[in-house]
Amino acid sequence: MTPRRIETLYRICWTVALLLLAVPFVFPFLWMISGGFKSTTEIFGAPTLIPRVWRFENFAEVFAYQPFARQYFNSLYIAATVTVLTLFIASLAGYALARIRFAGAGLLMLFLVMALMVPEEVTIIPNFFLIRAMGLIDTHWPLILLPVFGPQGVVATFLMRQFFLALPRELEEAGKMDGLSRFGVWRKIALPMARPALAAVAIITFLHSWNLFLEPLIFLSSLDKFTLPLALSNFNDSYGLPLWNLQLAATSLAVVPILIIYLIAQRQIIESFALSGVKG
Amino acid sequence: MAGTASRDNAARQPGAPWLTLKTREMLEAWLFVSPTFIGFLIFFLGPLVAIFYYSMTEWNLLSQQATFVGLRNFENALLENPDFWHVVRNSVIFALGLVPLNIALALSLALALSRPFFGVVFFRTVFFAPVVTSAIAWAIVWKFMLQGEGGAVNQMLAWIGIDGPNWLREPNWAMAAVIVTRVIKMVGLNMILYIAALQSIPRDYEEAATLEGASRWQVFRMITWPLLAPTTLVIMVLTTIGSFKVFDHIYQMTGGGPENGTLVLAFYIYQQGFKFFNVGYAAALALIMFAIVMALTLVQVMLRRRDME
Amino acid sequence: MTKVLLKDIRKRFGTVEVIRGVDLEIEDGEFVVFVGPSGCGKSTLLRLISGLEHISEGELSIGGRIVNEVPAAKRGVAMVFQSYALYPHLTVRDNMGFGLKVRKVPAGERARRVSEAASTLKLEPLLDRFPRQLSGGQRQRVAIGRAIVGNPDVFLFDEPLSNLDAELRVHMRSEIAALHQRLSTTMIYVTHDQIEAMTLADKIVVLREGKIEQVGTPRVLYKSPGTIFVAQFIGSPKMNILPLADGQPISHGASVPATAVSVGIRPEHLSLVQPSAETLRGKVRLAEYTGAVTLIHVELDGGQTCLVIHNQGTMPEISAEVGLKAAPEHLHFFDKEGCAV
Repeated sequence: MTPRRIETLYRICWTVALLLLAVPFVFPFLWMISGGFKSTTEIFGAPTLIPRVWRFENFAEVFAYQPFARQYFNSLYIAATVTVLTLFIASLAGYALARIRFAGAGLLMLFLVMALMVPEEVTIIPNFFLIRAMGLIDTHWPLILLPVFGPQGVVATFLMRQFFLALPRELEEAGKMDGLSRFGVWRKIALPMARPALAAVAIITFLHSWNLFLEPLIFLSSLDKFTLPLALSNFNDSYGLPLWNLQLAATSLAVVPILIIYLIAQRQIIESFALSGVKG
Repeated sequence: MAGTASRDNAARQPGAPWLTLKTREMLEAWLFVSPTFIGFLIFFLGPLVAIFYYSMTEWNLLSQQATFVGLRNFENALLENPDFWHVVRNSVIFALGLVPLNIALALSLALALSRPFFGVVFFRTVFFAPVVTSAIAWAIVWKFMLQGEGGAVNQMLAWIGIDGPNWLREPNWAMAAVIVTRVIKMVGLNMILYIAALQSIPRDYEEAATLEGASRWQVFRMITWPLLAPTTLVIMVLTTIGSFKVFDHIYQMTGGGPENGTLVLAFYIYQQGFKFFNVGYAAALALIMFAIVMALTLVQVMLRRRDME
Repeated sequence: MTKVLLKDIRKRFGTVEVIRGVDLEIEDGEFVVFVGPSGCGKSTLLRLISGLEHISEGELSIGGRIVNEVPAAKRGVAMVFQSYALYPHLTVRDNMGFGLKVRKVPAGERARRVSEAASTLKLEPLLDRFPRQLSGGQRQRVAIGRAIVGNPDVFLFDEPLSNLDAELRVHMRSEIAALHQRLSTTMIYVTHDQIEAMTLADKIVVLREGKIEQVGTPRVLYKSPGTIFVAQFIGSPKMNILPLADGQPISHGASVPATAVSVGIRPEHLSLVQPSAETLRGKVRLAEYTGAVTLIHVELDGGQTCLVIHNQGTMPEISAEVGLKAAPEHLHFFDKEGCAV
């Protein structure tokens, strides 16, 4: 065989191996959607990928079982709020840490690194009592405040700082000479140029909030305040056993839109994670 | 030169400015970081100090009265409560299973997918998709697929003549299932970190080595792998810490069961603190977890540093 | 009147003092060039004047007003940066008008001033482009335009030509000179290139390790450098410095000061002659032909290498024995501190 043909064979083997390996990554999504259309009897019968009977009523029942639309909205607006707040606060702090020499900057950086190292499980107990003392149990406040000021916010700050460090200093100095205040330089020069970094921060922050589970579990008790992950884990019958078809239908409703966005913007999304991972 | 901006201002002589430019700049900087800083004090530093206090008290569930008990909670965990060591054992098994599997798979995928070829974007997209999916959703689907009877996994195994176990009902199988499904969920993240690192290695090295007659494996062993060392360290630290923090996945898939077979530290803390309201004990556990995570990080960093010298 | 006055200016970064007491007077309308090797503090000094860096000690006044604590934008200065620092997200027009907008100059007035500056610099066809669509020379011009638009009392240039290729650099140099003639505004210009300094400056300030080494017109610096450092920094190729003993033969006929320990002769003032007792003697080691002149490296009997600019038709052969001589008025004598005597 010529080296060229060996190379081709090699390629084919790799591709087949990768395709096999891809099964456990893709199949769950297909199975989830298919399960969402099945009847209870079919769920427990011999499994098939294509439902024998398409039961669309599952989706209506999802909304009857819990205030699912409301829960969906909760997740959306909380994630949006967290994202906007994080962008604002992290880009301010990231800018100062990258660009201004000030007393205490080193110490602050050290603290922030520490905040990254400490697992959320460590601070969640005191934070629970703090939130309770503030009278914010069973509200959405902790789901907004804790991520914004927690490790996720720190990651965002570091990402922004990293970006601003690479920004040419002379541009800002030109802005200063043109009469901009510090805030003006941040607002008119640094931010418009930081769009790629802001997009990355927005993506990872939004997804983090969207998928958050421990905090909603601890702080929320009313059904109409639930966020999606909490609502999903709540499709159980009176014995605590899962109502599979409803749960899978609801999960599909929660996951598929994100997947579609992911497929459209996969490059940007993957890059954002790569960026934040390299930072951590 | 009429109407220059500078001359307009020339009249305003700052005879004795109450703030020098330098001080002003510092105040501005603190203004910029103040939201972060204040939030940090309230939601991180405060709680971090408080947890030390909590860990030395016993809380009464009804009156919320705290009694100081010194190191009693730590004694309880480390010396008396058999659950604790069981939980630590589970966490260690979980980490020992997850970290090597995750890294090996991530690196293999990255090596396969770091060069452009037909379908590379498709594969990257596929392997990364679970990362953006909620852990709860992922666990729900896998729990569904891993049912003993009528589960999709066992059905597939039956096709090739294997009689699959009732995965989530037997402690050892449950642990294995939780580890593997978690790896599938998260491996995409490490994969892209490795891909980024691989793509930043100049091709020259590899080409030079190939010209000198090195095989693919030799190139990997002698060039690529050493150059990846910093990335591997970061990935190892992050993945290990992540494995100790895993909570939602286990909450949804096994609830710590069966027979506490998948009861890991993060879940145990949640149980003690928020279900049984043993706040003091849970606080002590949280500190122990913190210590473990710190120690593991330090050990890995030190090992790697020694390696590089 | 926009005199710029520096009184014992000092700048420390941490414990390192990078500007170590600079006194300088810059007249209204003067073109002053700060020159020196890298790390001499010339850029820092410019940034202290601009207000981008904070002055640690001393007093800076611009147009009779002490500006130590006046923010950069209110000092009446404009700066042209080495990297041009054009805002990438704004068009040329918006780049030039940005400062006026920030200062709340009305739109009509703004447009008028931008188009005025654009026509001065022949930038009209480029006004709606973005910086990334411009060539290096065009960007440079926009950067200058942005400075002009603000109608400043003092222009500051921070190595503005160092990112351009050689040909463009010569061209822009002449444009800047023309600009100064037209505006006759005070200009302060930083460069490490002594030819730029010589061609542009009314007054050159040579800096060395955070201090002024010498101030003077280009002619003065060339003809009577105050120190060996200045003597070697100004002029190209640099001045040959020989120990007085080795330079003895050539000093014949000149009055040698008693404290002199070394003698300096510029390569262009040396000529190749037959070796004799009244010439320096050496062997030709290398001849670099550049067209107009040839640069000859002569290794003297004492071991030093002496550069000679040779523009005669006859070319000495490599390792030929030659003699060097110079007119007495072209000799510079320095004492043991390196100061001219």
